Amino acid sequence: MSSIPWPFPEARGYLSGLSRRGRDRVRRWARRRQGADPSTATLTPGRVYILPTGVGLVFGLMTFAMLLGAMNYNNNLSFVLTFILIGVGFVAMHQCQRNLVGLDVTFAGAEPVFAGQAIRYRVAVTNNSKHMRYGLRLYTDTAGSDVQDLAPGESKIFVLAARTSERGWQSLERFGICTLFPFELFRAWAWLHMDARGLAYPALADDAPPPPPTMTAHGHRQHDARGEEDFAGLRKYHEGDSPRHVAWKAFARSGQMLSKQFAGADTSSQWFDYEQLQGLHPEQRLSVLTRWIVDADRTLEDYGLRIPGAEFPPAHGDTHRRRCLEALALFDPGSA
Amino acid sequence: MARPRGTDGSLLASLPWTLAALLVSIAPHIPFLPPWITAAFLACAGWRYHVERKRLALPSAWLRAALALGCFLGVLATYSSISGVGPGSALLTIMAALKLLETRRRRDQFVLLFLSIFLVMSSLLREQYLWSLPYMLVSILVIMTAWLRMPAGERQSPRQSFATGARLLAYAAPLAIVMWLFFPRISTPFWAVPIDTSRAASGLSDTMSPGDISSLSLSDAVAFRVSFAGPVPEPRDRYWRGLVLTRFNGRTWTGGRQPGRDPGARDQIEARGDPIEYQVTMEPTQQQWIFALDMPTEWSLPRTYFMAPHQQLASSVPIDQRIAYEMTSHTDYVVGRELRDLYRDWYSSLPPDSNPRTANLARVMRRAAGSDTAFVEAVLTKLHEEEYFYTLEPPPLGSNPVDRFLFDTRRGLCEHYASAFAVLMRSVGIPTRIVLGYQGGEVNPLGGHLIVRQSDAHAWTEVWLGDAGWVRVDPTAAVAPERVEIGASDAAFERVREGWGFSASSRLVQQFTMAWDAINARWNDWVLGYGPDTQNALMKWFGMHEPTWRKMLLTLVILVIGLIGAISLILMFRYQPPEKDEAAQLYARFVARTGLEPHTGETARLFSRRVRRTGAIPADTIDTITDAYMDARYGGNDDARVRLRQAVRTMT
Repeated sequence: MSSIPWPFPEARGYLSGLSRRGRDRVRRWARRRQGADPSTATLTPGRVYILPTGVGLVFGLMTFAMLLGAMNYNNNLSFVLTFILIGVGFVAMHQCQRNLVGLDVTFAGAEPVFAGQAIRYRVAVTNNSKHMRYGLRLYTDTAGSDVQDLAPGESKIFVLAARTSERGWQSLERFGICTLFPFELFRAWAWLHMDARGLAYPALADDAPPPPPTMTAHGHRQHDARGEEDFAGLRKYHEGDSPRHVAWKAFARSGQMLSKQFAGADTSSQWFDYEQLQGLHPEQRLSVLTRWIVDADRTLEDYGLRIPGAEFPPAHGDTHRRRCLEALALFDPGSA
Repeated sequence: MARPRGTDGSLLASLPWTLAALLVSIAPHIPFLPPWITAAFLACAGWRYHVERKRLALPSAWLRAALALGCFLGVLATYSSISGVGPGSALLTIMAALKLLETRRRRDQFVLLFLSIFLVMSSLLREQYLWSLPYMLVSILVIMTAWLRMPAGERQSPRQSFATGARLLAYAAPLAIVMWLFFPRISTPFWAVPIDTSRAASGLSDTMSPGDISSLSLSDAVAFRVSFAGPVPEPRDRYWRGLVLTRFNGRTWTGGRQPGRDPGARDQIEARGDPIEYQVTMEPTQQQWIFALDMPTEWSLPRTYFMAPHQQLASSVPIDQRIAYEMTSHTDYVVGRELRDLYRDWYSSLPPDSNPRTANLARVMRRAAGSDTAFVEAVLTKLHEEEYFYTLEPPPLGSNPVDRFLFDTRRGLCEHYASAFAVLMRSVGIPTRIVLGYQGGEVNPLGGHLIVRQSDAHAWTEVWLGDAGWVRVDPTAAVAPERVEIGASDAAFERVREGWGFSASSRLVQQFTMAWDAINARWNDWVLGYGPDTQNALMKWFGMHEPTWRKMLLTLVILVIGLIGAISLILMFRYQPPEKDEAAQLYARFVARTGLEPHTGETARLFSRRVRRTGAIPADTIDTITDAYMDARYGGNDDARVRLRQAVRTMT
């Protein structure tokens, strides 16, 4: 912002409001005529928009001035120069639009993050044609990706980062793909409205109370034997099974990963219970639970999660962690 | 408000190309720019590149402001004006140099490239040679490459950028040609074109001082070209009349103004014999004189041209562009039979007490001759028979130059002879005037036109002999008849050939010279001379009735839209995804037949199971098609493609 005060602050507010409203109206119009996009959208000519840039307007003025000069001096080579530049301008316009048309845009997911962190939406853009696509960039109102070129047949990931403030589904309601190629005289762009979602887990609590002590399923303190006294058999290893329960001897013999199964009520575990966190705001509770899960996961402990309406028995591993965190992310306190 | 002055090397990929674009566009100006400006530009360019490479700081705002002021004052001091092509291009060069010193972002580079485009245009305003067009195309290509380099950075090779630029230029070329042909040309400028004072006038000067070395005699530059409707006149008739000098101050001949301005002052012309029709394409001279075969009787000239007294054709403004005009002349004529006494004295006046020996000689010879005509003959005989030489390097003459020339040095150019002859005539009261123009010219066997060069510049006299009117007398012809018979340029050509010692290949050289001239003549006529008249003719040739600017603009718009549509189509096809191969197409027919839709990620094998469950197509057909498709698609197997084709055909 410049330090010189604008003499009519109301006028500025009014103008910027006007331009914003106009922009929103155009966007709504585009959304209506395009409809929602499937997970892979091909940019058809009808949805690639193009307008001259500032440089393009200056270029237009310059060629007009040159035309007047050439007419005045009746200088035929100046005419040639001027008309070549005008021709290049026309060609650049079409080239700019064609640089986008036919690209396939696919939403390629977003890694979950903790609320407050930046979520990184990944969008794959594929060039199925036989020619290079230059200077492509994805953008939202608040962020933009790197500028990349696409060779024929090539597909690249463009990352759009967005701040998250709340847990739950974060969606990229609209994003654009644009290009200034070849001369930045024109800017061609297309809007995409995909079901592009990423999950934000609850924010990680910074000052969480210590996790509850390890308990048996009946609420007793955990014995040192850790509930492994009643060996019940072997079953196929599943992702998330504790490495301590893998039958390593059997693995050495057969090469097959098997997990030991234990019977009996005394299966030990640590339960993280929403209800037990009294005196905290629901969101704070979720944050604390999140912190506990992340810490427990790091120390390879088994843990279970109990929230109103859902219960995840103690287990371990990435899948378990993800399921627990997803449940926390999507938990609706009103339902409790 | 202090901005960071350091550079980060981010322009390293594009800066060399921006510098190249500037260099290419400044190069044609360098011969015309004062050396300090070229030096300043090169220094700034080198400095800027060094700064970027070593990531140094840019010069401070104060230093830049001081440099800008200094350079501006320098331009003002050099040119004493800032309008016109000369000072304009100097200023553009300086602006580019100084802009370089504050270039840190892409926007600054845009400014530099816009400047280089203006520099290209101003070089075209200065001169439009045959090579100017290819050079301009190369300049545009370099500028476009530099333009593409700016955003491309390290991602694309310079070669890629260059290829892209060339491709876009190729697409733009037909558009440019159509616009160039159909854009309506106007004949009157919108605003007064500033006269470029930095450009020296070429061709004849409008005074004549025998004894000053004439630089023209060595210049091979073309003065004008002439296309005759009929046969080309004989060499001895090729006198191209320019301006007429009537006043002599003892040393210098000047135009002078005839006393009185009544219309009767214009000489009456009685033309005899057949008219000679021709068209002249004259190079710009920055002067007013227009040349025509002696004696012009009819002419078609724009309004700004007129017939001055003494049958001089002139323009009211300096001729700063190539012009073409049609003329009719008669080589057999009588002009100015009536000459009033007032003028008789005026045409025979000489400064008192100048060149006394010449005056004496004239009186003696006139008395011996008995008549004016005989006196003219006697003088020509004297020049022919005595030791007078025609030379391109005459010795200098002191005061009383005519005396010194006639009696001492005895060597000179046409202007010495014309001047001496005129003084001899005037000394005995015979009205005499000097005509400056060109004599001769060379027929180009390829173009069929006549080329008149600056080296054909000539001076001769006209003597008023009563009933015969003004009679052309060329004293140089008496001294060096070959000057008039074969022409000065051929004589010059002989000299060059002897000097270089390649008589064997001289025919080849001459042919080459002629071919080059023929191409240049076409270039002048069809490209540079393309104006309202030529355009009208071309439009009629295209079948347009009564071409108006409206019709032309309409045609232009229609053609441009058509061409852009074509370009758009070409681009569409170029960017289309490649056709699916035959196997995929055949498989698509199979899929369509099943009535099912493959899911994303579903393999052909899984899909076949689903199809089998519907029972619509026999199971073995499904298997054959699926197997053949997999082999053809992923195995690249021709045999499998044949099987697939058969299986799909039998299926339907």
